Amino acid sequence: MEDKRHTSIQYEKELQDVKESLLYMGAMTEKSIAQAVGSLLERDSDLARRVMCDDDLIDRLDVEIEEKCIRLLALRQPAARDLRFITTAIKINGHLERIGDMAANIAEKAIILNDMPQIKPYIDLPRMAEIAREMIRESLDALVHEDQELARKVKADDTVIDQMNEQIFRELFTFMMEDPRKIHASLIIMQISKNLERISDHATGIADMVIYMITGQTVRHQPSCETKAND
Amino acid sequence: MTDRLLVRFALIYLAILLVSFASAGILVEGQVRQEMTEQITEDLLNEGRVITNLSVPDIQKNLSSLQVGSRSRVTVIDPAGIVIGDSSGSFMKFDNHLNRPEIQASRLRGQGVSIRYSSTLKVDMLYVALPLRNTDQKIIAYIRLARPLIEVEKAAQTFRRSLLLSILPVLGLSILLAFVFVAKIILPVRKMAAFTAKISSGHRRGPLRIDSQDEIGRLARNINQMVAVLEEKIAQEAEEKGILNAAFESMVEGLIVLDDRNRIERVNRALVEMTGYPAETLVNKTPLETFRNAALHQALDRFNQTHEPLLVEIILDQEKVRMMEVSISAIRDLPHAVQKTILVFHDVTKLKQLEKTRVDFVANVSHEIKTPLTNIIGFVETLGEGKVSDQETRRRFLATIRENALRLNRLVNDLLTLSNIELGEAKLHLEDVDPTDVLESVLSMMSGVLKEKNLHIGRSITEHLPSIQGDRDRLSQILINILDNAVKYTPEGGTITIEASRMAQEVVIRISDTGIGIPKSEIPKLGERFYRVDKARSRQLGGTGLGLSIVKHLMKAHGGRMIIDSNPGKGTTVSLYFPV
Repeated sequence: MEDKRHTSIQYEKELQDVKESLLYMGAMTEKSIAQAVGSLLERDSDLARRVMCDDDLIDRLDVEIEEKCIRLLALRQPAARDLRFITTAIKINGHLERIGDMAANIAEKAIILNDMPQIKPYIDLPRMAEIAREMIRESLDALVHEDQELARKVKADDTVIDQMNEQIFRELFTFMMEDPRKIHASLIIMQISKNLERISDHATGIADMVIYMITGQTVRHQPSCETKAND
Repeated sequence: MTDRLLVRFALIYLAILLVSFASAGILVEGQVRQEMTEQITEDLLNEGRVITNLSVPDIQKNLSSLQVGSRSRVTVIDPAGIVIGDSSGSFMKFDNHLNRPEIQASRLRGQGVSIRYSSTLKVDMLYVALPLRNTDQKIIAYIRLARPLIEVEKAAQTFRRSLLLSILPVLGLSILLAFVFVAKIILPVRKMAAFTAKISSGHRRGPLRIDSQDEIGRLARNINQMVAVLEEKIAQEAEEKGILNAAFESMVEGLIVLDDRNRIERVNRALVEMTGYPAETLVNKTPLETFRNAALHQALDRFNQTHEPLLVEIILDQEKVRMMEVSISAIRDLPHAVQKTILVFHDVTKLKQLEKTRVDFVANVSHEIKTPLTNIIGFVETLGEGKVSDQETRRRFLATIRENALRLNRLVNDLLTLSNIELGEAKLHLEDVDPTDVLESVLSMMSGVLKEKNLHIGRSITEHLPSIQGDRDRLSQILINILDNAVKYTPEGGTITIEASRMAQEVVIRISDTGIGIPKSEIPKLGERFYRVDKARSRQLGGTGLGLSIVKHLMKAHGGRMIIDSNPGKGTTVSLYFPV
């Protein structure tokens, strides 16, 4: 690890604490996603309710981390890399909190689905959840190790998730057209898929922030359409 | 170091030598000079006394012979200080000599002695003066004798030379002594220095060899002993450490040692294998950083607050899901009061699975038995109340009761078969069986069902297949169970293909259908008791959930194996391999 010791050990500790808290929050969201999708696969509504309870913990962590960051900003007046780290941490914190909400949403939908007959075996959803979790983990790994390459890989994974989401949509359309009784369940599955897709968007957001922290470059909001200056 | 010691020693030695010789020489030389001067003075005085017996004119006449006789220059001076005769001849130009110290002394005390440096002769001169008196004791002249002190000087030189000559052997002796000193003390000291340096750098070979009985020798022996004792202690420590290390590494449980900052200090091999993280990626990170496990982090947090040992169950799902029981406790009695924590990982995946299987089995059996029983009870109660008078309805009720009873019977039979096979109590009546024969009989048995569902049968059976060792009835049961599944899960108008061929030392029977198929992830779980891919559908089709389980066990009993391959939505292929 590179040497970036601070004169104040306490300051160093506080920065480390923010980092640890983010990792903890990341671990919590990962667990929630796994359990939310697990509750769907196992048709275990109790597990789904536990996931919804765990979201309160994630929300508390969100508040805690934000307070820690603000205290650091106010008391230590960080500069350069530390300042970038803290502002990044605040934004990552927000993304993680939203991911936690999405996981709770999935759990909520799972409870509804578990009360209906299963319309199809879930194959793509667990795969999507797996990739989304990996993206969260890797984006935070990139933060901890300041690994730009890894952050860019996370951004690439987002495309895979988008494709899977579209595929699930297409598949469910056919289900709905074939049998109107399946429309309700299909719509809920679509929402779950959409939630997973949103989670991957947030993970991408984290990766963007990590790239900003490392390079100081903003890679968010790449233009979606080219505007020609002279027509 | 040693060089400086030698130089310093030699310089001190030389200085002492020189100082003692010089002081002795100066002392003795002074003595010699003094004695010789006194002797010459006495000599001159005696000469002078003889001369004073002469008269002044006599003296003046015989100056040159007097000079020869007394071996000194003779000067005659009148009481007024005027030189009136000198053995060297021309005395007219001489100064008045009255103020010379020797003349003054002789005038006052009767004799005068003085030593002065003569600038003309460039040598110390000894002057002796005596008064010449007449009968009235009145001084009529002074006689002065002067002799250069060359002899004294010569004697002193001779002495110095002999002194220097005598120093040489002493110097030689002292050089010899210095060599002895070097050999006896400095060389061993150097050897010891080199030896101890080697010890500290760890390149020692053999003991320190200094054969001497004096203090140096004793020191060397002590060093050797000390080294031996130390090495024994180190070897003991190393052995102990080696044992501890080996124990640490070869523990079945995964171990993590955390340092006082909660970072991973070391892990053992079992942990690396369990978690799939290489040791390098673990060390010096916090457990949260590597495992990203919320439950583990919470447990560690709690432990850091209470310092009470605790046990936590976590799920690691890097690549494959593993249930871990992690016990966290402090490492006590470390030197320097360092705070370290040890995490012991116990893989309980299998245990949990077994537990789950057992619980599931009981739940499944109860459920499977309860469903037909509930039906039977319901219909029997209805009939018992005597309210159903319609014969047709009664018959239908009784038929349902019978069907459910049969279902129960089938279930119990299947369970019994399975448990017998599992216990190894089902005796196989082994004989040579023609596989084609069995296949044909099973197909004819099932032809009714096949026709009912309008299924096409494709056959590709190699002729003259070698016979296999097996129990005819059990083999039929295997094929019936598989075909039964194929029929159940293939929609009407589908095709079931039966192939039989020989491959190397095995006969392969392959039954493929164009049914709904099974997801890849479910295939390994097939064959578990009561495992159903689609629970609702299976029960609806009258399955007990034990068919494939029985097949799996019977195949094992026949020394064969079953491989299931499937494409969801396309169909399933079950391949049965029997040894010839």
